[in-house]
Amino acid sequence: MNGERLRPYFMLAPVMLVQAWLIFTGIYTALEQSLGHFPAAGLNGYSLKFYIAVLKNPDFLRSLVFSFYVAFVSSALAVILGIFLAVLLIHSPRREGLSNYLYRLPIIVPHTIAVLLVLNILSNSGLMPRLLYALGMPGAENAFPGMVFDRAGIGVILTYLWKGTPFATFMVYTILKNSNPGLFEAALNLGASKWKAFFYVVLPLLKPAIIPSFLFLFAYAFGSWEVPYLIGPTYPRALPVLAYTFYVSPELSARPYAMAVNMVMMAVSFILIYIYSRQTARAGW
Amino acid sequence: MNRRFVNLLLYAVIVVMILPMAVLLLWAFAREWPWPHLFPTGFSVRGWVHLLNPATGALPVLFYSVLLSSVVTFLTVTFSLPAARALAFCEFRGKQAIEIFVLSPMVIPTTAIAMGIHVNFIRLGLADTFWGVVLSHLLPCLPYGIKILTGVFGALGDRIEQQARVMGAGRMKTYIYVTLPLISPGLVTAGIMAFVVSFSQYFLTFIIGGGRVVTFSLLLFPFIQGGDRHLSAVFSLAFIATVLLWVFALEALVRRWVKKGQYFYM
Repeated sequence: MNGERLRPYFMLAPVMLVQAWLIFTGIYTALEQSLGHFPAAGLNGYSLKFYIAVLKNPDFLRSLVFSFYVAFVSSALAVILGIFLAVLLIHSPRREGLSNYLYRLPIIVPHTIAVLLVLNILSNSGLMPRLLYALGMPGAENAFPGMVFDRAGIGVILTYLWKGTPFATFMVYTILKNSNPGLFEAALNLGASKWKAFFYVVLPLLKPAIIPSFLFLFAYAFGSWEVPYLIGPTYPRALPVLAYTFYVSPELSARPYAMAVNMVMMAVSFILIYIYSRQTARAGW
Repeated sequence: MNRRFVNLLLYAVIVVMILPMAVLLLWAFAREWPWPHLFPTGFSVRGWVHLLNPATGALPVLFYSVLLSSVVTFLTVTFSLPAARALAFCEFRGKQAIEIFVLSPMVIPTTAIAMGIHVNFIRLGLADTFWGVVLSHLLPCLPYGIKILTGVFGALGDRIEQQARVMGAGRMKTYIYVTLPLISPGLVTAGIMAFVVSFSQYFLTFIIGGGRVVTFSLLLFPFIQGGDRHLSAVFSLAFIATVLLWVFALEALVRRWVKKGQYFYM
């Protein structure tokens, strides 16, 4: 009886051991060094001075705002577009083939290649300015200087959108497909307008798809290094790029700053996990 | 909504998805593509020669990457199977917390955690090694394996397994002859995700591998960064083709294995 009760823990033990080992050693080392305990660089003892220095640094604050802005805009747009596309898809006669295709392509293409795709279309010599020029817009090659490497982060946002929209579409589509279309009709019959029926009946149904996909996309866009490093502005740098710059600095004394930035990023991800777990507890999914 | 309008919008989206791939294909065979031409003005296979030329060592790196990511995939699926089963079928204390914990690497930024892991791996002698990189890849891959397999187990239920048990099959026999064949489509999906995540991984490989463990993603990155559009297009296509080939191979392998046993495959 006792063995039966312990069984699920044994089944989960291998995964939990690997995850716990990697996560805790990763966080512990980052925490230790961010507090200034780094004997290899001659730093001993613990203090909060690196956090204070980082939090007072205007460059860090701009990086934080930039990362938040990019992550929020790209994931919110991806989810809105995803809802829109999923509704279109459900009305399409060829939806099965299309949804399979739409979903799979961006999974296979990694973010680094997605950056290349955006560059190929939107950079100064990309296809878009060429098309505009061909359509009779002289000086089109200079019309796009701000699309990539820009402070508004348009290139970064578009890259995340290209990767994220199909994911959000698929999540929403799965729920739409398995929910009863009669609910929408019933709301219409009872006198709701199409928009009202959508906002008060369909949208709440989609919440279990919308919130996890938004959180997941936000977390990825907030914490990933490759995309802002390749296609983002040189100032302000995204947080992961900033942390990396400190990390690879030839001066080991810059290391605590890198780890302090990492700890801030992790704190944000813990908030996201907290929101997710509260949602899960409330809705039972 | 008007059906024609709906289709038109959907096709527009598909064009947005496909057009960049078409441009990638053009770049992969372009010698030069000067402004403001809409198509390349010269044809070249320079990048393909670079990719296949033994002197550049690109192909061995590709094979090494496939091997590394296959090992990661195998470990991910093996570790995820019992965990997903427990999450799908058992009720136990702390289940929700454990589930959130094992899925948390989907949300915790790898970048932030990688630097801490790196410092620790240096102490343990795992930095700059094949197995160090494999272990670090498990962090982003395991949550996908668990999530997908939990869904598959949940949808399947354990009724058929129980029938096998009732008819006298042991736990091991049930697992090998009933459970695994039944969930084989889910195994393929989990395997594909794990492989793709591992094969695409740049930052973890770069930090933990320290330039000693070189994967195909690491070869591709400087081309994109440096702006050689032709070479980056060639290497990107090789990347995508490799993933597709691997996926077909895995699907064929699993299908053959399931058929060979003549199970009641649905």
